[in-house]
Amino acid sequence: MALTITCPVCGKRNGYEFKYGGEEKGPRPEEKDLDPRAWCDYVHMNKCVAGVQEEWWFHKDGCGSWFTILRDTTTNLEIEKKEAQNDEQV
Amino acid sequence: MMNRFNHLPTLKIDAARKIGFIYKNKKYYGVQGDTVATALYANGIRIFARSLKYHRPRGLYSLDGECSNTCMEVDNIPNVRCENTQLKEGMVIKEQNVKGSAQNDMMSFIDKMDWMMPAGFYYNTMHKPAKIWPIAMKQIRKAAGLGTLSPDFEMPGSYDEIFPNTDVCVIGGGPSGMMAAIAAAKKDLRVILMESRPSLGGFFEYRKNFHNRSLELAKEVNALENIRVFTHTSMVGAYNNNLITGFQIGKPSDVFDQRYIEIRAKSVVVATGCIERPLIFDHNEKPGVMQIGCALRLANTYGLLPGKKAVFSIGHDLGLEAALELHNLGLKIELIADIREDGQDPALLQKIEEKNIPLLKGWVACRANGRKQVKSVEVSGIDGLISKTIACDLIVASAGMTPVTGPVTIALGKLKYDAHTGFFMADKLPEKMHVTGRLLGLDDPRSIETSGTLAGLQAALDCENCSIKEIGDVKKELENLPGPTRGTKLVTAPVKGRKSFICFDEDTTIKNIKQAIEKGFDVPELIKRFTSAGTGPGQGGIPGHNLPLYVAKYQALPDISIKPTTTRPPLVPTLLSTYAGTNHIMLKTTPMDKMQREDGGIFRNIGVWQRARYFSGDFTCEKEIKNIRSNVGMLDASTLGKFRIHGPDALKALQRVFVSDMSKVQHGRMKYSAMCNDDGCVIDDGVITKLRRNDYYFTTSTGRAGQTVEWLRYHTRYDKWDFHVVNLTDAMGVINLSGPNSRKTLEKIVDIDISNEAFGFSEYKEFTIKECIPVKAMRLGFVGELSYELHVPSSYMQSVWLMLKEAGSKFNIQNFGVEAQNVLRMEKCHIILGQESEQRTNLLDVGLGFLWDRSKSDAKTIGAVALAQAESDKTRLKLVGFKMENNTRAPHDGSLIVDEKVRGYVCTARDSFSLKEAVGMALVEGPLSKIGTRLEIFEDECGDDRIYGKIVAMPFYDPEGSRMKM
Repeated sequence: MALTITCPVCGKRNGYEFKYGGEEKGPRPEEKDLDPRAWCDYVHMNKCVAGVQEEWWFHKDGCGSWFTILRDTTTNLEIEKKEAQNDEQV
Repeated sequence: MMNRFNHLPTLKIDAARKIGFIYKNKKYYGVQGDTVATALYANGIRIFARSLKYHRPRGLYSLDGECSNTCMEVDNIPNVRCENTQLKEGMVIKEQNVKGSAQNDMMSFIDKMDWMMPAGFYYNTMHKPAKIWPIAMKQIRKAAGLGTLSPDFEMPGSYDEIFPNTDVCVIGGGPSGMMAAIAAAKKDLRVILMESRPSLGGFFEYRKNFHNRSLELAKEVNALENIRVFTHTSMVGAYNNNLITGFQIGKPSDVFDQRYIEIRAKSVVVATGCIERPLIFDHNEKPGVMQIGCALRLANTYGLLPGKKAVFSIGHDLGLEAALELHNLGLKIELIADIREDGQDPALLQKIEEKNIPLLKGWVACRANGRKQVKSVEVSGIDGLISKTIACDLIVASAGMTPVTGPVTIALGKLKYDAHTGFFMADKLPEKMHVTGRLLGLDDPRSIETSGTLAGLQAALDCENCSIKEIGDVKKELENLPGPTRGTKLVTAPVKGRKSFICFDEDTTIKNIKQAIEKGFDVPELIKRFTSAGTGPGQGGIPGHNLPLYVAKYQALPDISIKPTTTRPPLVPTLLSTYAGTNHIMLKTTPMDKMQREDGGIFRNIGVWQRARYFSGDFTCEKEIKNIRSNVGMLDASTLGKFRIHGPDALKALQRVFVSDMSKVQHGRMKYSAMCNDDGCVIDDGVITKLRRNDYYFTTSTGRAGQTVEWLRYHTRYDKWDFHVVNLTDAMGVINLSGPNSRKTLEKIVDIDISNEAFGFSEYKEFTIKECIPVKAMRLGFVGELSYELHVPSSYMQSVWLMLKEAGSKFNIQNFGVEAQNVLRMEKCHIILGQESEQRTNLLDVGLGFLWDRSKSDAKTIGAVALAQAESDKTRLKLVGFKMENNTRAPHDGSLIVDEKVRGYVCTARDSFSLKEAVGMALVEGPLSKIGTRLEIFEDECGDDRIYGKIVAMPFYDPEGSRMKM
């Protein structure tokens, strides 16, 4: 796999070691008065960005932690978080 | 066998060491260092194969495997590229795609039928009427194609894979590649150098005047410890992040025959150099026509004179150089036809004149004559106005050089046509990739070497180990050396093109290309697909650059618009075995594996485990089942997922994943519960025990054990809870002791009171056996009898197993396997997830709704929201129990429940020995789920016959549950 992923514990490793965990969508919504459609959207709807997205990865063949990275879906390359944050500030 | 030169310093053979091999059932000899192709050539074999479509004779052409001309069956492996395969003692070589032999192929008449088969012939014919196609297909498949493979063929050999990391990866071990590797290595970087031929040297290796220099460079490379050299290694893929893949062919001393190599580099240097651009003329692929490099390497590397009388038709100084060298070795050269009117190296011209070799400038070969092999050649001026025929047995032909740009394009670099060199040159390169040497159009040896150094330093700069000034100095040096040479523009000789082949693998002629263009396929990508030019095993090696150039010329397009077709990995034909690597057996075994096998266990692969499924050849397991119902038996349940979760927030985490209210689990008690996914679909069930406050031990099903930690952590990832979950699946074994006599058996090996009053149903106890073996014991009733589940450290499993065996010997205790357990629990209607459920089955469907606690919405339990929504859904399937009518046999698992439509399916059904009738469980549509409903069951291939069952109450066996509570 050409993708490398930077695990916060183990550092930059081969993408083979990780399992994808979906787009970052924020914590689970409160269940009280939750609209069924909103719930369904939370679980199933994705933005499918063509560009940089924040997403979850699990280091399955490593430390076993869940974390997010920024990945450019058009190049399948990880973007360093610092770089991206600086861009946002500009 | 031909005599070999033995005085040339460039030779890679040892003519004294003979190697025997079998070709067409006869014994032949080659020598040490031969490839299969050169050994055959040395034995006078000129026709190696017949072509895919027209069954035309084919022979040696490039010696680097750019076409399928020399694909043969070697040691039962079809489509082996003989030019790239080293000869080994005892090899058995056969021809393929011939009826008769390659020399006399009965299918060769097809060559005369080409008028019947224009481009796109298959697309245009044989589909009307549609009935023709199956018949025609059979005949076409017999006549066309390459090697054949029997379905039960097993690939011999051993395959390996490695995944090295490096600073700089250099692709190509020629002069520029070696210089790049040396330059980067001298900057203290780790370098990997890949070379597709068996030794380093590339463009210098086989040329008399440069051979010594190539040895010097190779010596320097080998002396540098931080260069790792992979020879006989072809690059097959390049991906982003500078990931380079290739495969290496092993030497006899290697532990692998081929191995896959995946290199992750910080920077990449592409130094793949050039191949020759095939010259297109009539019969340009007839045996006897070969490229310059092929002719020269046959002589200089393998000690074989390629022919007796030759005509050269060339467009590059290498052709003049080769003509001189081969002339000196004894080849009679009748004529050199040079496409170029001017621009030749004057020194070479002078030598050619000194040797009295006739040379015609602005001339080109336009037709090779001879039925099966070259007998003569017709040469003409490039305008085609005047021509003459010369007798010869060898035509050395090439239009010029063409760069090997595959690595650049598959790495998504962009190419641009360069009018000066006539090359496709790298225009936009991916980050941290550099091209060097002949890819830049350089021809002068000093320029090639210096450009290599430059690329090596640029790669070092990518790794932050080189100064910009140093690079500037080398750049200046390179600017003062000769730049790219002017290339020839000629693509084809002046011919009509009916028998002028642009792609040898697919038998595509110039005429076919014209036909495709006339039909409106105007870009190379489309023409490639319509004519299949470049889609053969050579991966576009022969037509790669000629196709776009010819298309542009034919349509009179401007240079700028010429675009080569897309190159995709693998760049070089690669065995699937090489990609697959070593066939590791990844299955896990339990601590009881050996003992159960000794007891006659019949094992099956179940998920990631090997488990004892039966203990006799009777797959209904009658004895095993009856033994549990009336006596006592042992099952190895070590594959169960086993976990401990502890820490201040352990309970919160459990509340999140389990549907029940975990706060109600009392110390020393157990609770059966289930996990759902966010859709409410049930994914796992298990038993949770509270060891102490915020410290739990729980089991999961065998299949889910691997994902449980991941699942727990995923669904608590935002909460920053403090808990720790430990996977004890492999650390602990489980013995399931079941049957009415199990208490009497267990009593003998424990010191504590295990009477029904002291250790009741659904209770949990910890104790030690022999004062040292810690046991977690649970009274469960999965099989519906008095039963103990003993969780024992894996290292003690065999001891406890033997103790129980001895303790139970009085009752004649027996093993039971997974299938017996399956029937026993089915009679009790205890579900197994994955068997009584599929991906869409939710908790309510399988009748486990009672486990779900609705009062804990603060816990945000996974699946709770979806379950609340599904509760009122009447369209869902329901799990029901049924028995068969009229005492007929049980249906197969997975059979369908039907009326005029499919209404559900049978999950598990067996002929029950305990109940003396056939019973089972099925998932059916809601309206069919009432007790008493008749079920029509459709089995695979049952035709119009149906069998019938009737829905009955669950469970079937011991509905009060008194037997497991006794």
